[in-house]
Amino acid sequence: MMRALVLLALASPALAEPVVPVFTEETAVSGLATSFEGDWEYMVGGGVAAFDCSGDGKPELFLSGGAGTSALYLNRSPVGGALAFERTGALEMEAVLGAYPLDVDSDGEMDLVILRLGENRVMRGLGDCRFDPADWGFDGGDAWSTAFAAIWERGQDWPTLAIGNYVDRKEEAFPWGSCTDNWLHRPEGRGFAPPIPLTPSFCALSMIFTDWNRSGQWALRVSNDREYYKGGQEQMWHLEPGAAPRLYSEQEGWKRLRIWGMGIAAADVNRDGYQDYFLTSMADNKLQFLKDPASGLPDYADLAFKSGVTAHRPYTGGDFKPSTAWHPQFADVNNDGWLDLFVAKGNVAKMPDFAALDPNNLLLGRPDGTFVEAGDRAGVASMGIARGAQVVDLNLDGLLDLVVVNRWEPAQVWRQTGASGGNWVQVRLEQDGVNRDAIGAVVEIRRGEVVERHEVVSGGGHASGGMGWLHFGLGAETAAEMRVIWPDGGAGDWLELPEGTFQILRPDGEPMGWAPG
Amino acid sequence: MTLHRRTLLALPFLVLARPALAADRAEVSREVLLMWHRLILELVRHTATYVPPVAARAFAYIGITAHEALATGNPRLVSLAGQVNGLTGVPARTESDLDAPCVLHAALQVAVRELFANTGPTGQRAMEAMGRRMGERAGAGIGAGVMERSVAHGQAVARHILAWSREDGGAVIENMGFPMEYTPGTRPQDWVPTNLIRLQQAPLLPQWATCRPFAIPTADACDAPPPPAYDEAAGSEFHSHALEVYETARGLTDEQKLIARFWSDDPMLTPTPAGHWIAIVLQIAERDALPVELVSSTLAKLGVAQADAFISCWSTKFRYNLLRPVTYIRRHIDPSWEPLLITPPFPEYTSGHSTQSGAASTVLAAMLGEDFAFDDETHVDEGLPVRRFPSFAAAAEEAAISRLYGGIHFRFGNEAGLAQGRQVGAYAAALRTEA
Repeated sequence: MMRALVLLALASPALAEPVVPVFTEETAVSGLATSFEGDWEYMVGGGVAAFDCSGDGKPELFLSGGAGTSALYLNRSPVGGALAFERTGALEMEAVLGAYPLDVDSDGEMDLVILRLGENRVMRGLGDCRFDPADWGFDGGDAWSTAFAAIWERGQDWPTLAIGNYVDRKEEAFPWGSCTDNWLHRPEGRGFAPPIPLTPSFCALSMIFTDWNRSGQWALRVSNDREYYKGGQEQMWHLEPGAAPRLYSEQEGWKRLRIWGMGIAAADVNRDGYQDYFLTSMADNKLQFLKDPASGLPDYADLAFKSGVTAHRPYTGGDFKPSTAWHPQFADVNNDGWLDLFVAKGNVAKMPDFAALDPNNLLLGRPDGTFVEAGDRAGVASMGIARGAQVVDLNLDGLLDLVVVNRWEPAQVWRQTGASGGNWVQVRLEQDGVNRDAIGAVVEIRRGEVVERHEVVSGGGHASGGMGWLHFGLGAETAAEMRVIWPDGGAGDWLELPEGTFQILRPDGEPMGWAPG
Repeated sequence: MTLHRRTLLALPFLVLARPALAADRAEVSREVLLMWHRLILELVRHTATYVPPVAARAFAYIGITAHEALATGNPRLVSLAGQVNGLTGVPARTESDLDAPCVLHAALQVAVRELFANTGPTGQRAMEAMGRRMGERAGAGIGAGVMERSVAHGQAVARHILAWSREDGGAVIENMGFPMEYTPGTRPQDWVPTNLIRLQQAPLLPQWATCRPFAIPTADACDAPPPPAYDEAAGSEFHSHALEVYETARGLTDEQKLIARFWSDDPMLTPTPAGHWIAIVLQIAERDALPVELVSSTLAKLGVAQADAFISCWSTKFRYNLLRPVTYIRRHIDPSWEPLLITPPFPEYTSGHSTQSGAASTVLAAMLGEDFAFDDETHVDEGLPVRRFPSFAAAAEEAAISRLYGGIHFRFGNEAGLAQGRQVGAYAAALRTEA
């Protein structure tokens, strides 16, 4: 009855404000008990990876522990019920800053790329949430690794990994200007070639592959921390098959932007068919829209102010100094069909010019393109010193839940417990052969007269990534009209997917319904 | 500038007959002074509240601290107590055998720790590392008792300066210098925000002119004349100035673009405009091996001049509250116009860069010579080339015109700023630092 009422209300033009989702924090009883520890060398990072390694469809959580110990938690939550996790002995290691799930060898078992202070590691999934160090020629290096993105380059049967590195941690008195090289690990047989330095590098804290101009040729966006670079800026790299990486230049329309870049979230917010980018920083954050897609120029307008997502200072808690933002993620948390934005917030470390009490943001999208803050009303305005996060359906009830990694305090987890603001559908892409999870695909969903494009990526955020069900809110629609542009460029048929269902989509067949439990 | 010229200028310091050990210790003092300043230039960049006026204030207090620390043990140097506003006599040495590098290091360490207390964890770590390194360097070969007494004296000098600094009205900066609330003016010529950064919808530090100045008697002692009468009519003087900005921007040469970027000195991305001039002094000091006393007195006067320049300039800015070129041009000439540089978030008249450059060049010409040629490699790390100047005045004039090239100031704002700064600089240059 409650759900029906909400849907009726959605249909009413008089309702201008989005439905505020209700989250209940279940940290204390969830079984999660990992903090992101450490001093200066752990002021960045603090990621979480959400992925299913047990085969039950529910995402497990891997939490980085910084100077402490990382941990993999099996998801024991009943469908639609309270969140429950069981710590395993797998993947316990120190100096972990973040992690991203990726089925590197396309064997159907999820692997995990682990970013560390020191040597990075690729852990091969063996099934049943067991992992071994992978023997794929991966050179983990010795750096302060803080960003990750992956793509299967055209014609390759092995992924290309981009890893972003931070400051030379051995520099004490003059660390500024000491950004170390980012790396591009390209395939070599069934393994990785020695990494190519992505010079110049400017202390990357987030990376994402994106088909920004819908050319089919994905580029690598890098968000950099201006605190440490000299002569740096935000970057985007051409990545053409067989060619050396090449930076987009001013002559090509790239505009210099220098921010404390900490995280990237990409989504088709304005439903123009092109990806928009939210870049986290300190004080004002950025929301970039492509100015003129027809021009072919990567020239973006910052519409954060106009859209109400500057998120530049705390909105509750009494501390009004500028904010420090880390992991951003677009998701439709209230299922009303409009993308919302979560931003994890937290002081770097005792920086008195910035807010000490810095609540996470939950910005709810509205049909007019603006967003309204609802973190406090939704119950997720934590004052923990947040870093990484994932907005993900942990108990497979169609309502997105939330996990946030905090510095020096245990990670927090919230279950969405209120009534849904609309319908939903969740899909998982699956293809045979290489790249089984179809990284580099695009899911298109028709929204009335327009089509919203969702890029399937591994990367972005802040040291945090997920792999598994792709969640779409539908509002009052009872079915999703959807199709997939697969990584090879082939477009699937338009499909009618009924609301409230989980669907496995393959390039060569009908959607396959799936039910949890 | 020739070596001969430099030698003459440095003569008051060089004629001191020092035993070999004293000369060695002077070299250590010079190293301590330069290394701490090298770090300070980074801390200014990496401390969020260190917008240009605030940075200039810190440079002034640190420069005075270093000069006073040295002056307490050197009869050839004159204290600034009683010369700059509100500074009373610094603690005198109670022992005769103090070591100058240890005194200087201790004074700088205390001053830097307080003035940059708000810097981030990396800055804190760097300050600690510098404290260790310079402490070891200054203390090498010095007896424990002498070192202890020297450190105590240096700390006492710094604490005296810091106590004075806390009462000047500029010690606490909140919200990165932007008021939480601001009501814009209603006249057509009034400044309005020029960007879409939420924090910058109010102007930077509108109360800065209420800070206690150092050498000028009051904030408005060197005020600029009014700007040209505001007028929106084509052909009017004001419109012509705006048209000049617009047309200059359309025809910028590569050299003009380079000049605009070279002097842009954006806060949080560079050591700020005041730090640029400090960097010039450090480069000259290293290149020419200037004696520590000359370097410290130059840095003190330069800091005073630049801090006062910002106070004076901000007094003028908020007296006239004039809009920026981008606002006028978009309203009356070309709605889609974009300047080369990002327009700073405060009123146009007078130009802050021009004012502080005028002040800086006046002091440096007085200290090192009118025709002192130098290379400026401040932004080599940023990928910008070295620029060579025949004099400090020429550098200041280029800094001023750079704001026109950048599209963020009218010519009259630059020219009036330079003149205003030269007046301010004359006060600082008149301070006596040598006996």
